[in-house]
Amino acid sequence: MKRFVYINDDSCRYSYCDNRISNTKYSLWNFLPKNLWEQFRRFMNQYFLLIACLQLWSRITPVSPATTWGPLIIIFIVSASKEAWDDYNRYLSDKKANERKIWLVKDGIHRQIKAQEIHVGDVVWLHENDEIPCDLVLIGTSDPQGICYVETAALDGETDLKTRIIPTISANLSVEQLGKVKGVVECPNPDNDIRRFDANMRLFLPIIDNEKCPLTINNTLLQSCYLRYTEWACGVAVYTGNETKSGMSRGAAEPKLTAADAIIDKLTIAIFMFQIVVVLVLGYFGNAWKYTQGLKQWYLMYPVEGEAPWYDFSIIPLRFELLCSIMIPISIKVTLDLAKGVYAKFIDWDEQMFDWETNTPAHSANTAISEDLGHVEYILSDKTGTLTENKMILKRCCISGTLYGNDNGDALNDVRLVNAISSNDPDVIKFLLVMALCNTVVPIKSNDDTVSYKAQSQDEEALVNAAANLNMMLISKDSSTAEICFNGSKFRYELLDILEFTSDRKRMSVVVKEGQTGKILLLSKGADEALLPLACPGQQIQKYLEAVEMYSQLGLRTLCLGWHDLKESEYKEWSKNFQEASCSLDNREFKIAEVCHSLERDLHILGFTAIEDCLQDGVPETIKLLRNAGINVWMLTGDKQNTAIQIGLLCNLITSEPNSQLLSISGKTEEDILRSLERALLIMKNTSETKDLAFVLDGWALEVILKHSKESFTRLAMLSKTAICCRMTPLQKAQLVAILKSAGYLTLAIGDGGNDVRMIQEANIGVGISGREGLQAARAADYSIGKFKFLKRLILIHGRYSYNRTAFISQYSFYKSLLICFIQILFAFLSGLSGTSLFNSISLMAYNVFYTSLPVMTIIFDKDISETTVMQYPQILLHSQAGRLLNPTTFCGWFGCSLYHALVIFFITICAYSDEKSEMQELSMVALSGCIWLQAFVVTMDTNSFTYPQILLIWGNFVAFYMINLILSAIPSLQLYTIMFHLCSQPSYWISMALTVAVGMGPVVAFRYFKNLYQPSAINILQQIEQSNGSIQTSGNLESARANLLNLLTGSRKNRDSYYHPLLSDSAESARTD
Amino acid sequence: MDEASTSASAGATRRAFPPARSGVFYRFTQQNLPAWKPAMTPGCLIAMFLIIGIIFVPFGLLCLQTSNHVAEIIHRYDVDCVPNAYRGNRQAYIKDSSISKNCTLQAKVLEHMRAPIYVYYELENFYQNHRRYVKSRSDKQLRFGAKYTAESCSPVHWDNNGSPIVPCGLIAWSLFNDTYDFTRGSKEIKVNRKNISWKSDREHKFGKDVFPSNFQNGTLIGGGKLDPTVPLSEQENLIVWMRTAALPKFRKLYGVIEDDLHADETINILIGNNYNTYTFGGKKSIVLSTASWLGGKNDFLGHAYIVTGSLSIFISILFALIHVKYPRKNGNG
Repeated sequence: MKRFVYINDDSCRYSYCDNRISNTKYSLWNFLPKNLWEQFRRFMNQYFLLIACLQLWSRITPVSPATTWGPLIIIFIVSASKEAWDDYNRYLSDKKANERKIWLVKDGIHRQIKAQEIHVGDVVWLHENDEIPCDLVLIGTSDPQGICYVETAALDGETDLKTRIIPTISANLSVEQLGKVKGVVECPNPDNDIRRFDANMRLFLPIIDNEKCPLTINNTLLQSCYLRYTEWACGVAVYTGNETKSGMSRGAAEPKLTAADAIIDKLTIAIFMFQIVVVLVLGYFGNAWKYTQGLKQWYLMYPVEGEAPWYDFSIIPLRFELLCSIMIPISIKVTLDLAKGVYAKFIDWDEQMFDWETNTPAHSANTAISEDLGHVEYILSDKTGTLTENKMILKRCCISGTLYGNDNGDALNDVRLVNAISSNDPDVIKFLLVMALCNTVVPIKSNDDTVSYKAQSQDEEALVNAAANLNMMLISKDSSTAEICFNGSKFRYELLDILEFTSDRKRMSVVVKEGQTGKILLLSKGADEALLPLACPGQQIQKYLEAVEMYSQLGLRTLCLGWHDLKESEYKEWSKNFQEASCSLDNREFKIAEVCHSLERDLHILGFTAIEDCLQDGVPETIKLLRNAGINVWMLTGDKQNTAIQIGLLCNLITSEPNSQLLSISGKTEEDILRSLERALLIMKNTSETKDLAFVLDGWALEVILKHSKESFTRLAMLSKTAICCRMTPLQKAQLVAILKSAGYLTLAIGDGGNDVRMIQEANIGVGISGREGLQAARAADYSIGKFKFLKRLILIHGRYSYNRTAFISQYSFYKSLLICFIQILFAFLSGLSGTSLFNSISLMAYNVFYTSLPVMTIIFDKDISETTVMQYPQILLHSQAGRLLNPTTFCGWFGCSLYHALVIFFITICAYSDEKSEMQELSMVALSGCIWLQAFVVTMDTNSFTYPQILLIWGNFVAFYMINLILSAIPSLQLYTIMFHLCSQPSYWISMALTVAVGMGPVVAFRYFKNLYQPSAINILQQIEQSNGSIQTSGNLESARANLLNLLTGSRKNRDSYYHPLLSDSAESARTD
Repeated sequence: MDEASTSASAGATRRAFPPARSGVFYRFTQQNLPAWKPAMTPGCLIAMFLIIGIIFVPFGLLCLQTSNHVAEIIHRYDVDCVPNAYRGNRQAYIKDSSISKNCTLQAKVLEHMRAPIYVYYELENFYQNHRRYVKSRSDKQLRFGAKYTAESCSPVHWDNNGSPIVPCGLIAWSLFNDTYDFTRGSKEIKVNRKNISWKSDREHKFGKDVFPSNFQNGTLIGGGKLDPTVPLSEQENLIVWMRTAALPKFRKLYGVIEDDLHADETINILIGNNYNTYTFGGKKSIVLSTASWLGGKNDFLGHAYIVTGSLSIFISILFALIHVKYPRKNGNG
């Protein structure tokens, strides 16, 4: 499918959309239905809607329909207005972009129009620092060489400048001609690939030229980029509006569901099942009571047999369904969303994760998944820029067998190298020439004649800078020529072709023509395994291999440099092929690679550069801490094995201690690799847990393994705590994440560059480092941080607290709903199983919305153990990792607690308020007060640290309950009228409340105490250590507890079904012994 | 790096940090508010349970004592009041309006009862809290009159002619209508039937200008009838009855005796046994009771406090013993 764009031709301008950008999700007329539809796709909302509709049937509703409709409508309005507000803001920003003034050239006349009025085929005239309004094909610039610079940060997050070149066909057009140009651009239909534009162009005017000129992404100006350092540029609009590359790549990401959310959903369904059972049982007995007892109770005036409608049997069960519908708390979603919003804000605000060097705060783009951070089991980390600084400096090099920089660790100051340069050693000069020319660096001359470099790759920048320091300075560069200043004299080179770097080729080359001699040279640089096989026979490769070996053991990144003489004729023929390949519309990349390969052969290897990339501050400590916290850290890198292992050693990923072993999965053939995989698996299985085992594999091995033996690899992955995967392509990184994810592990991917984006998006949690390789990764990620070392705080502090808090909030929400529901069920047995609600509508609604939702929010301030203790004993994370605080077992605890509390409240109420006091409204208010008292004490008991807001909210809410009810009791038209005044003046009311609290909380406190002391969980132990300022004896306790914890965890890892062991059942004994 | 290129990209993700580096809000953002961390130490817990026990046991004794001081006479009469001839078929007895429903009981006062003495009727197995029953009323009609007769009163809202029944609904329709008269020897004991309902109900829930109409006029007669010349706000037996009970066994105030009853006195109770509890096997009793600051005779709170308090003391002793036997090094202890 292609589109033909006729330049400056009105006949086709309306066949494509105009340049109106629309990012809005809704329009005025479809907002309501579309938003409702989206909201009703959730099970919970469907359930509540069903309940609300059933409530409209007055025969069966126990309370006023407002009890469900009210909260439901509030929840809907809240989320709908949030959506509407977001959408309105999107509309405003669209409008601003659409109404921006843009210069257009038509028949030689410049006109200013609104950006939204641009049509396909129009010629747009841009000035310096303009934002590009739509996707353009560049046809002219102010630069005589026909290049211009664009900043693509908004598109791909890369902050460096990109060079864009006008196509050769329009190179000779004058400014006047540009205004009147006619032609046709043949391009593919709109897609979202911002790295590809396989098109071609023909111009009709002023010269009829039937030759097709190929267009690539380098000839385009894409929407939302900025024009820089170019006075003006003009281009033909090819894609407009939402059909541009940036418009096509927008799109809402699928919302991620956290592990805690998944458990909450499961619990909801379990409660739903329980509710159905209760309803059926109560409904059956209700009907039975009606026919055996009810018909005899003349004052009920049941209609005589035969007059009852056919659905009569279902009335009572449906009433119970409505009565029990409060079992599933309607507010849980809102409460959790609110809490999660606060967790995210805490991350944003955290000053200890603020990177002062770059002025970057941590940011959580995804507010919904904070508690998953406390669950992380695998961290898959990029190396360059993530573990390391990505500040590259050339430290050593090896030129034709001579090693420079070996003595002082700094090749730039090696006297021998300086001497070699001044003595014009031809190999050394060639070496420097390759360093200076074989790259895509843009030199930028500032006013005081100093040159600075902008590069897409940090390696290239390091090389060019090093060359400049060694007197081989790249002064200027445009699309066709480069100027080099060597020892004070200038040399011009014609840049004929650039054979670009791709992750498959792992090398790049340039074809240059020496200005003075006219010799054509191919200069190449690339990974050693990509370049050495291309070397012309007869060279001393061995020496180089040793050097490379040595460099990578020092953790240095190596690049191989080479060159090759080209004959004029040879080049011409190749150039034609290359042109053809560049013009092909399909499979272009592959064809180009083929053609490039045909030229890159018989290379003279010049030598190697070794670039140092320092470790980031605090990386080894962070990795050690994370590994102690039971998180498995894998390093995925594009670098080569030795470098990767070296960095792994440096940053504590692997140790050289005797109890650690590095298993290498490699081989020359596929069989070898598979065999070594099996061997590694066997070793892993048979070694004890204490031994540190890690495996190393490279991209090729992974490819083979994934093809033939994915299961064994998954098993291996599950067993190994550490892995170093090198020579990984972006896709393979993502595949590894997918393997771990499919095995049921919670993965966190962290990276900084564009090559990590896929893995970041694939992982449960993506963390981006807003580093030197641009913001691309940070944008795709759920969290962005400034430095790798902040990860420990993000996981151990924020992740852990968030998980603890969510665990409490969700279970507590069920607790309070179950509590009031159980009381209703118990009351059913005393009201002839007729489905009477003990509580009135106002109380029921206020119970969920006011009385119980505020105190539970206090838990977002709670810290079970202090941050210092967590950092000191990172093992505690295992606790949340295993889901110890939110699982069916803990939920059963809450379930039992709410059943017990319901029994206590109900029986104390009906016994204390029997006989002459058994007035319905009073009794109901006594029971409700009992719930409020107990829940205040339950929250208090589960709070570990009290801050002002907590105390204020818990007890303020308590006071508010009485205030609200006293006010309601003063309104004559309500059923509650005077009830609260009556109660408050009765001593027996207060006596009953005290009794309820004592009976309700006493056993819970005693049980809690008993468990804390005689069967403590790891958290309890740490709390005790905190209380005693960490005496040595008790930390001994912890050591054994830790060992037990580890055992439990590893046990559960082997058999993930035994996930929910009672908390540390066997740690009690060891704890008691000392 | 040049200024222009960085600022554009920076705007998206970088923002100024909150400038205030002190103050409550700052400490809140850093999750660093001053916190109090109470510890559950054995000593603290044992003391807590002990204190609860020490408070609860005496208090329970006090409650029990109070409850014991309340004098109470209970007489179940629904069986005894049925003439022997109808013992086998009580429903025929209660439904036959030609049979006199009067019956006399003798009650012996065991201990001195100080005025005011409350006269209650007690019903058992009567579901005033049944959903069908509890809903069948119209508060608006009670307050504002017949034009507010609502569907909620179903099935007793319109009479056969289609005119509204006031008061409507099952609750009013099934108004309790047994009567009690007390005599000491031949002298009548006065029972005050005024001010037995809540003042708030009389003033704000039942209308002063709402008069019963078409009440108990239908083919099915439920309970008692009302004097159509007396406004609802003064029909106190109805007001009491309309305060529905939450439990199937309940007492409702019939009146107040404002004389003391002396120990060993015998009083005669003349009962008009009109109300039908025989169809559903309900029980009717008459209760005479004095009141204390805790209300009527109810041993529950006293017993519950004593049991809870004793258990608390037991738990604290148990914990103390365990603590002595297996001392847990809690912290540095």
